Amino acid sequence: MKQAQVIFQEGDLSWTMIARDPAKHGYVIDTNEYVITYGGESILTDPGGSEIFPAVFSAICTVIDPLSIKSLFASHQDPDIISSLGLWLDFNPSLRCYTSRLWTSFIPHFGGDDETLIGIPDEGMPISLGEHRLDAIPAHFLHSSGNMQLYDGTAKILFSGDVGAALLPDDANEVFVKDFDRHIDYARGFHQRWMGSTEAKLDWCQRVSSMNIDMLCPQHGAIYQGADVMRFINWFAELPVGLMTFRK
Amino acid sequence: MQLHQSQAADDLLDMVRLNEGIKKVVIIAFHINLMALNAILLANRAGRTALGFGVISKELRVLAVDLTHLMHDLKADAYESVNLITVLLRQERRKILLESARQSLSQHQDALVAVIETQQNEQTSQRQRISQLRVKLLEKLDDARRICQFGIAISRSAKIEAAYGAGYSMQLSDVSSDFDQNIHAILPALDLLCQNLKDH
Ligand SMILES: [Fe+2]
Ligand SMILES: [Fe+2]
Repeated sequence: MKQAQVIFQEGDLSWTMIARDPAKHGYVIDTNEYVITYGGESILTDPGGSEIFPAVFSAICTVIDPLSIKSLFASHQDPDIISSLGLWLDFNPSLRCYTSRLWTSFIPHFGGDDETLIGIPDEGMPISLGEHRLDAIPAHFLHSSGNMQLYDGTAKILFSGDVGAALLPDDANEVFVKDFDRHIDYARGFHQRWMGSTEAKLDWCQRVSSMNIDMLCPQHGAIYQGADVMRFINWFAELPVGLMTFRK
Repeated sequence: MQLHQSQAADDLLDMVRLNEGIKKVVIIAFHINLMALNAILLANRAGRTALGFGVISKELRVLAVDLTHLMHDLKADAYESVNLITVLLRQERRKILLESARQSLSQHQDALVAVIETQQNEQTSQRQRISQLRVKLLEKLDDARRICQFGIAISRSAKIEAAYGAGYSMQLSDVSSDFDQNIHAILPALDLLCQNLKDH
């Protein structure tokens, strides 16, 4: 089973990370899910693939009543992000799923319909969690052409989807980045191959560097916190990506 | 996680085989139709002596057309079956995952128990729909067999009629043995399909 760990708690607002399943098969990529709870309502980011649904669901149940989850947030359309949608809807048919407008007719291949899926416009939009406001902010082409991240201005947390992702070996699976230089080695290959657009990358780096972010939470790997957030943004801005990295 | 391959997966294979069988029968029926058309022309040329042969050939043409229609019907039913079976396969797969989630819960078990129960009921009625359709398929295959048996009987008569064909006798008997061969080829194909569907 995955482990649930509260990474932020202030009054009624909390962020819980669901990660690191020791029983997970090696052939499915490890993913992080985040549950944001305010009052009695929750939203779940990138709920993951159908194969890991049992592990995610049971970990969530250790911290909250799963029926408090009113909506899902899918940063993009990948199977490791949202192929569990059908199972989530089996559990609660009234769930809504926010995703880029580009994918509202693709994701129903995993489940749901036009009522389930709420398309986020390209420029992003506010998403309310009860009285609390979250913001879907665009990160298109990083890596998906319709790619969204979720920002919580109160908690100063950015859920960054695949941006910041690292493919960690079993012996380096800490929840928070401890040694940036060592950690970033596990992120390099992923960003060079998955994030193909220098233009998109620089645009994103510029925008998020002006945001107040205390934690940058990716869908794979460890959380960047404090000074490591800016360290990551600077590193990413300078990283050669895409086709140029293929040329010897 | 161990995902057991279900009866539904076998059912899906049956439908694949059924479709392949249908294709074979349609091709043979097409040949019979062409052959019968030629036989009608030949009988017209032969005149009075081949009147009976002409009537039989017309019957065989009708039979070929009926068989083709029936095969198209079967194809549509098989398609519907595939739809039902794939829904069931998806339901079964989801149930396994939900069940595995439930087993690892120490809290909030009730939330999933109700969902799993509803799914169980849905699966039961889905299985019923699939087996009802299977019965329908078998009935249609039986109809097809009856048509073929009738075909075998009249192709036998065609052989006899050919003997009265005077100058055309040789040609007519060639045609009638072609009929015979083709119609005989259909029956084992249909039998195999029936057998496959009955076995499960
Ligand atoms: Fe992705
Ligand atoms: Fe991913």
